[in-house]
Amino acid sequence: MSNPAVALLESALRARKLDQTLTSTRLPGRGDGYLAPTGMARLDAGLEGGLPRGQLSEIVGARSSGRTTILLQTLAAATCRGEMAALIDTFDHLDVPSALSAGVDRNRLLWVRGHAISRSQGTGLGSRFGPSTPGPEALVDRVIERAVKALNLVLQAGGFGVVALDLADAPLSALNRLPFTTWLRLQRAVEGSETACVLIAPRPLARSAGGVTLSLDGRTQWAGAADCRRLTGLDVTARVVSPRRRAESAVTISTTTQGDACAVRCLS
Amino acid sequence: MFGVISVAEGSSLELMQAVAHEFSPRIEVNDPRTITLDLSGLTRLFGEARAMGEALARTAGARGLRVRIAIAGTRTAARVLAHATGGPLTVVDPGDEAAALARLPVELLAVCAGHDAPAVSNRRTPASSHDADVTTFRRWGLHTLGDVAALSADAVAARLGQQGVRWQRLARGEDLRPLLPVVPEERFEQAIDLEWPIEGLEPLSFVLGRLMDPLSVHLERRGRGAAVLHVRLHLVTRVVHERTLQLPTPIRDARALRTLVLLDLESHPPAAAIDCVSVTVDPTPARDLQHSLLTRPLPSPEKLSTLMARLTALMGEGRCGSPALVDSWAPGAYAMTRFSPDTLVPSHRALSTSEVPAVALRRFRHPVHARVRVQQGRPVSVGGAVTQCAGPWRTAGHWWDEETWDRDEWDVTLSDGAAYRVFRDRRTDRWFLDGIVD
Repeated sequence: MSNPAVALLESALRARKLDQTLTSTRLPGRGDGYLAPTGMARLDAGLEGGLPRGQLSEIVGARSSGRTTILLQTLAAATCRGEMAALIDTFDHLDVPSALSAGVDRNRLLWVRGHAISRSQGTGLGSRFGPSTPGPEALVDRVIERAVKALNLVLQAGGFGVVALDLADAPLSALNRLPFTTWLRLQRAVEGSETACVLIAPRPLARSAGGVTLSLDGRTQWAGAADCRRLTGLDVTARVVSPRRRAESAVTISTTTQGDACAVRCLS
Repeated sequence: MFGVISVAEGSSLELMQAVAHEFSPRIEVNDPRTITLDLSGLTRLFGEARAMGEALARTAGARGLRVRIAIAGTRTAARVLAHATGGPLTVVDPGDEAAALARLPVELLAVCAGHDAPAVSNRRTPASSHDADVTTFRRWGLHTLGDVAALSADAVAARLGQQGVRWQRLARGEDLRPLLPVVPEERFEQAIDLEWPIEGLEPLSFVLGRLMDPLSVHLERRGRGAAVLHVRLHLVTRVVHERTLQLPTPIRDARALRTLVLLDLESHPPAAAIDCVSVTVDPTPARDLQHSLLTRPLPSPEKLSTLMARLTALMGEGRCGSPALVDSWAPGAYAMTRFSPDTLVPSHRALSTSEVPAVALRRFRHPVHARVRVQQGRPVSVGGAVTQCAGPWRTAGHWWDEETWDRDEWDVTLSDGAAYRVFRDRRTDRWFLDGIVD
């Protein structure tokens, strides 16, 4: 039994068409077209069909958690359906052979390349791997800001099935400096459209009420004896968090290096 | 009613066309010496057919042209008569074409065949084939066009097929195809001289709006779209700032054209204030697009062009497009191509529902220098303790130019669980991070 005051408040918000932010509101069913399947059956089952269109969703996790794999699969599924997809590649980290081996129809993918910042500034690695050339923070901020602007332009143009912003390697400090209204503005831009907007980040940023958050945890899989070990893939555990649909489930996905440039390299 | 002007050899075709255009807007150039005019509906302007012919002859004579003119109800009859008769003017009343041609020799069929060749025969017929058919008529004892016209159509079709029937229709003076009028080349150009020089793009956008609107209307009326846009800005320094925009698809939307020009000028601004603005369009046939009820609509090319222009202005030249593989073994080799999804071609790829997707790599476009500790030829520390490693895989290539590479690659997992691809550059003996397995 719901609280009458809450019910009154919700009905007042609905009357003013401000109910998009209510987590208790179940979206009206709009058929299969309302969701953008990721192309991975188990993950789609966990997502109850796919990523919601007209919402800002997130794929978050640490390095080697399978964020890029799931992103490329989602883009591949969208392009295979005949939709256009866009990837705002903030630090220019897309590996084209990986994307094509995932099944992305390259003619339907708009790839917006940000600026690859030299050394470790744009890699999110800090100075861990050795001496880095410390660039000004403003440079990273500017690159991220441009990427967000590019995302905004693509969303405003409309017509894309899936649009992704890759901030996976952005330093947390730079992400923290972004005003939170950035995500509200993006949510507003994508609202009502048929675009599923996806954010790739090291941690949840937008926390959109209407979107879903895929929180990933990955484990590398190795095979072979000590003298002939090889990386065979990743075991990815995806925790699906959806405030609006009140769903929280976990899905395990295995990935393989077969078909990857790595495998091609081994054969050659 | 049609008129044909035939001039003596060596006369100027342009001059002849100018004379013809003074009488009719619909003219067809048959060959460098013959022009056909559509004279329908001109009697109220120039009088009856004979008066019209005399006026034509007078005008041509005034320009120094020696012409023979024939006027008839059909183009074929007029052309044959202009070629065959010796007088300066021949007029045949509509309906009398067959009778007027009946006494002319059968060899004149070749005159018609030269102009109506595509209609006379569907196959590529050489001139010798026409001569062969005329010779056949001769061997049958037919000497005039009237003899050919008098034959039974069924009998001609039985012996020469459809081509024979077409010869017979020409012999009767019938037209096999309509007139194909010469379309004068239209210029799609707008220019404006400014009373006061303007600086900056904001005032220029209003000026461009004034120029683009009539251009767009003109293109729409002619069923054309802009393929190339030339913008000329005459500056106060007497320098002409010229920009040329190659449009990916024919566009005639005034707002889209204006936005594209402004976005281009944002990247390439003029050096001084602007005195005069001129916009010229290279036209091309407009797009005919049939939308599908079954597929999701894609954004219009106008929107896409504008989006690409905005993205290019924001991110820089060559940073927006579609990825493409290149024919190279170089690690991470790729190319960018223009983003132009084909709206009519559905994607033929099957939707993958694979349970085991291929793992992806996040590649550092500029490999990151790494401090690596090696024991017994294997990396044991790459910024952190290595828990698993595999390799080396040696690749090398392009030893003949500056893009050479020679490296030993390793896959390593560090203590934090992240997997990296690292490599040792064998030429410099330095280690780099190539990417993250993600």
